[in-house]
Amino acid sequence: MSEKVSERPPVDRRKQGPASPAPARSTRTPLGWWRNPWRRPHILASVTWVYLAWSLLPVFIAIGISFNSGRSNSVWQGFSTQWWWGHPESDPTGALFVSPELHAALIQSLRLSFLTMFIAVPIGVAFAIGISRWRGPAPAGANFLMLFSFVIPEIIIGISMFLFFTYLLKFVHLGTGAQLLSLVTYQVSYPVIIVRARMLSIGREYEEAATDLGASPTQAVRRVLLPLLYPAILVSFVLVFADTIDDFITVRYLSGGASTEPLSVKIYNFSRGTLTPAINAAATFLLFSTLVIALLGVFLYRRITRGQRAEDQEMTGYLT
Amino acid sequence: MRGKRSTVPDTPVSPPRRRVRGLARRRSREEASGAWYPRWYWPTFALPGTLWMIVLFVLPFYVVVSIAFGTVDPVFQSPLPIYQPWWWTKRYLLEEWHLATGEFRPVELRTIVYVVLATAICLVIAYAVAYYVARFGGKRKGLFLALLIAPFFISYLMRMLSWVELLQPNGYVNSVLTFLHITPHPINWLDGVPFTVVMGLVYGYIPYMILPLYGFLDRIDQSHLEAGRDLGANRFWTFVRVTLPLSKPGILASLVIVTLPMFGDYYTNNLLSGSPKTTMFGNLLDNSMEATGQGPEAAILVLFLVLFLMVPMLYYMRETAKAQRNQ
Amino acid sequence: MTRREVLKRSAAASLALPGAAAFLDACAKPGTVTSSSHTHGPGTGSYWPAGSPYPLARQDAPVTWKLWREPIKSGLAPEKGATLQIYNWTDYIFLKVVRQFCAAYNCKYQITTFNNMDEGLAKMRTGQLQFDIFMGVTPDVLGKLITAKLLQPLSHSYIPHLVSDAWETYQNPFYDQQWHYTVPYTTYTTGIGYRRDLIPDAQIRGMPNPYDIFWDTKFKGKVGIYDDYREAISMALLKNGITDLNTGNPKYINQAQKTLESLINTVNVRTSTNGVYIGIPKGTYDIHQSWSGDIVAAWQYTPVQNMKTWQTLGYWFPSNRKGAVFNDTITIPANAQNPVLAHHFLDWMMTYKNAMLNFSWNGYQPPQRKADPSTLTTTNSYYGEPYVFPWLPDAIVHESDFHTGYFQEELTPQVDQLWHNAWQAFNSA
Repeated sequence: MSEKVSERPPVDRRKQGPASPAPARSTRTPLGWWRNPWRRPHILASVTWVYLAWSLLPVFIAIGISFNSGRSNSVWQGFSTQWWWGHPESDPTGALFVSPELHAALIQSLRLSFLTMFIAVPIGVAFAIGISRWRGPAPAGANFLMLFSFVIPEIIIGISMFLFFTYLLKFVHLGTGAQLLSLVTYQVSYPVIIVRARMLSIGREYEEAATDLGASPTQAVRRVLLPLLYPAILVSFVLVFADTIDDFITVRYLSGGASTEPLSVKIYNFSRGTLTPAINAAATFLLFSTLVIALLGVFLYRRITRGQRAEDQEMTGYLT
Repeated sequence: MRGKRSTVPDTPVSPPRRRVRGLARRRSREEASGAWYPRWYWPTFALPGTLWMIVLFVLPFYVVVSIAFGTVDPVFQSPLPIYQPWWWTKRYLLEEWHLATGEFRPVELRTIVYVVLATAICLVIAYAVAYYVARFGGKRKGLFLALLIAPFFISYLMRMLSWVELLQPNGYVNSVLTFLHITPHPINWLDGVPFTVVMGLVYGYIPYMILPLYGFLDRIDQSHLEAGRDLGANRFWTFVRVTLPLSKPGILASLVIVTLPMFGDYYTNNLLSGSPKTTMFGNLLDNSMEATGQGPEAAILVLFLVLFLMVPMLYYMRETAKAQRNQ
Repeated sequence: MTRREVLKRSAAASLALPGAAAFLDACAKPGTVTSSSHTHGPGTGSYWPAGSPYPLARQDAPVTWKLWREPIKSGLAPEKGATLQIYNWTDYIFLKVVRQFCAAYNCKYQITTFNNMDEGLAKMRTGQLQFDIFMGVTPDVLGKLITAKLLQPLSHSYIPHLVSDAWETYQNPFYDQQWHYTVPYTTYTTGIGYRRDLIPDAQIRGMPNPYDIFWDTKFKGKVGIYDDYREAISMALLKNGITDLNTGNPKYINQAQKTLESLINTVNVRTSTNGVYIGIPKGTYDIHQSWSGDIVAAWQYTPVQNMKTWQTLGYWFPSNRKGAVFNDTITIPANAQNPVLAHHFLDWMMTYKNAMLNFSWNGYQPPQRKADPSTLTTTNSYYGEPYVFPWLPDAIVHESDFHTGYFQEELTPQVDQLWHNAWQAFNSA
C-alpha cells in the first residue's frame, strides 16, 4: 500500500453529509422543499389516508343503516334494532333473526363455509407440499391448473359446474353437495399459493437437517415441516372461510331451492329486488362472523408461534 | 511435480454404478446427503389435489365443450351435450362466432376498455398506497396492514351495496355534492353511467392489488434505493430506474390477480347500473345461462373467454419461470 | 335403412326428458328428434305448426292436454308434518296467506323465488328440484312443461272452490281445456306506470300514442322497462301498431328491437323487475312499463305513507281495453313430495276470502266471481284502504278484457329463438 493514501485525513461523513454531486440546496425555498429527497411524503400519505377512508367508510355507513328506523337504505331516519330482531311493519322479509327464510340462509352460509374450509385447506396444503418438492414435467401441468383456477373468473366455474352436474354427474343433485364441490374447487388454489410461498421462504434446510439426524421422510414432514407451516395453514383457513361465506356466484347457480341458498345469494337477490335495511343487517352479520373467525385465527396464531415470532412473521406477512 | 508414468490417456473416473431394483432409484446429487425419498413420495401429496382438479375442473370443461359443439333439445330448447367428438356440430360455434364478431363487438370492446381503465386506476392508487406503507409505514405498518386487509373480510356484495345506497338520487354522495355546490342538482349515478361501473370495478378489486404489491415492495432492499441516490439520481429517476424494474414481478402478479377475474365480472354492472349501455361480457354469460335456447351459446362464450384469458396466463407463467431460472 | 337410422328412429320414439337420452344412449346422436306424432303427442289442438313438439294454444285454437299419468286419488289425507315447497316469483304471494294455510293444515312452508319466467324454467327443467307448488306459471310455457312431464294432472275433487268461486271461463281455459293441469292465480294487464304529479292523467290519456311517453326526453334517466323478453318486445310491437303479440314475422321483431334500442340513447332506459313497486315510489323511475298488480301494490313501498304520496302513483292502459292482457296459473310439479297438501293449497288460493287477502298485499287481481270490478275502488281491503285506489281505474281487470285484449301465447321454438335473439341484441347494445 502506498504511503500517500494513509496520509490523507479520514473523511468525517457525519459532518459532511451524504455524498451527492449537487450542492445541497436550502430546503426553505419551495423548489428546495420540492426537491428535498428526505422530506416527508405528504402526497403519498394523504393518498393513502384518503384511500383508506374511501375504502372503509361506505361499509361503516352500511353497518349504521342496518340500524335504521325507517325503510330507507340511503337516508338515516333514526336508530332502531327492528331489522335485527324486531318486527318491522309491513315488510315481507322480516328482520334478520326473526325471519325463518333468512335464518335458514344463515345456517347454510355457515355450513358451507366450515365444510369448504375443512376440505379445501388439507387438500391444498398437501398439494402445495407435493408440488414444491416434486421434480419432473407433471407438476408443471398440475401447477398450471391450480394457478388457472385461481385467476379464472368465478362465473366460468359456476357455469361449467352447473352444466357438469345437470348433464353428466346427475346423481349429484343441485344443492349443498354440488355447492360444496364447486366451492372447494374454486378455493383449493388459495391455500396452495399461500403455503407454496411460505415453503419457498422456509427452504429445505430444516428437513435436510432432520433427515441427516435420522428421521424418516414422514417424520421429517410431520414433525419439522408441518409445524413450520402451521401459521400459513392457519391463514389459509381464515382466508378460505372469509372468501366462501361471501361467495354468491357459484352457489347461486347450484342452489337447489330456498333451503340451500346461503345468505350471500339472498343478499344478491334482495339487492336486485326489495331493498330494506334487513339486507344491511344480513351483510353486517356475515362480516361479524368473518371477523370472529379472523380474530380466532389471530389468537391461535399467536399461541402457536409463541416465542418464535419475528416481525416478518406477523400474520399479515402471509397475505403479501 | 507429478509426471505421467504411462502413455495411456487418462480416463475420467466415475463413481461405481449400482444396480437398482424396484422403487429405489439412484440418488441425485442434491439428495445424496440426506434421507432417501422414494419416487412416489412427493407425488402422493399432490395426488388428491390433482385428482380433484382433473375431475372437477378439467372434466366440467369437457362438458362445456360438448355442449358448445352439441345441439338443443326440441322441447325446452335446453342444451344437449354431445360427448362423442365425431358427432360435434359446428353450427352454434359458427353462429356465436358471427355474433362475437358482429353484434357482441361493442360489448367486448367496452369490457376491454372498462377493464383496462379500471386496472390502470387500480395500479396507480394501489402502487402509491403500497409504496407509502412499505417505505414510510414505520411504526404504524401493522395498523395500515390491518386496514388494508379489512376489505378481504367484507363481502364484495356488502361493499357494492354500500355504494348503491350512497349513490341513490337522495343518497349522501349527492347531498354532499350539492351542499358543496359542486353540482347544481343531484346526479343519477346509477342509471348506466360508465364512470360508476369503472369506479365500482376499481373499488371492488383494488384490495387484491394492494397486498401483493405491498409484499413485493416491502422486500425491495432499501440499499438499492440509496445506491441509486448515491450515484446521483434524484427522486424521480431513482424511482424509474431502480424501484420500478425491481417491482416488475410484483406488478405483473397483481395485474394477473386483478385483471383476469375482472373480465368475467357481471355483478358490478348489475348492481350499479341496470342499463344495456354498460353491459360487460360477463353479463352476456349470465344472461345466456338463464335464457331458454341459449345453452350452447353460454358454453361457447365460456370457451371464448377461457381461450382469451389463456394468453395472458401463459405469458405470466413464462415470465415467472424465466425469473425463477434467472435467480 | 342403415343401422344408424334405425337407432335414430328408436331414439326419436323415446322423447325423453331433456338431456336424459344423451349420455346413456351413446349410439344415437342426440337432438335428432323433431316433432312427435300428432296422435301420440302430449295434447290436441288445432294449431300445431311443423317442427313444434306440442300444439300451441291460441284463443281460437284451444288445447286439451293429455293426462300423461293418473292424477292422485281423491279422498286422501293431507301429508302430516310436511314442509310445503313453493316455487314462485319474488314477492308474489302474501306470506300471511301461506302462514294461515300452514296453521290450518299443520305444516311448514319454504318459498324459493325466481325473477323471471326464463330463470324459473332453468331450474325446473333440470328435473332435479322438488317443489310442491309452481306458482305464477304463465300459460305460454305450459306446452314445454307438460310435454317434458314436469307437471302433474290435477285431481279436481280437492279443488271445489275453482268451480264455486273463480270465473267460469277458467273451468275451460283455452290453454288448458278442462283445467287438467292448472288453476288460475291472478289476472293482470300490462300498461304504463307513471308519476301522476309529474305527468297529469289528462296528458297521457290525451296522447295519440301514449306509448310514446317512454321517449319523452324530459324524463331521461328515469325510464324503465321490464327485464322480460316477451313483455319488452310486446310493448314495442304495440307502440308500432302491431297487435299480434305472438308474431313470428322477422320484420316486425326487428322493428321492435330497433324501437327498444332507440330508447337506450334517447332516455337511458334501464331494465328491472321491481322498478314499479320499488322504483317509482322511491323516485328511481318516473315512468316504467307496469303490470297492473305492481302499481296497485306500490303504495306499500312509498317512503312516506300518506294519501298525498299515494296519489302520485298512476297507471295507464288503453281505454278501449285493447292492450296486453294476461293471467298466470298455479301448477303442481310432477315430483311433488306432498301432492295432497299441494292440492289443498290450490283450493285455498281459489277460495274468495284467501284470494282477496292475497290481493290486498299482492295487488294482482284474482279472477273471483264475488269481486265485482266496479266495487274494488270502494271496498276496503285487509289494510283498511281500497283494494284499488280510485285514481287507478285502468288497473282493474274485467272479464271482458280477455275478449278485447291481446294475449301473450306460446311460441314455436324457432320464433322463440327470434324473440330471444332480439332481446339479447338489445341487451348488448
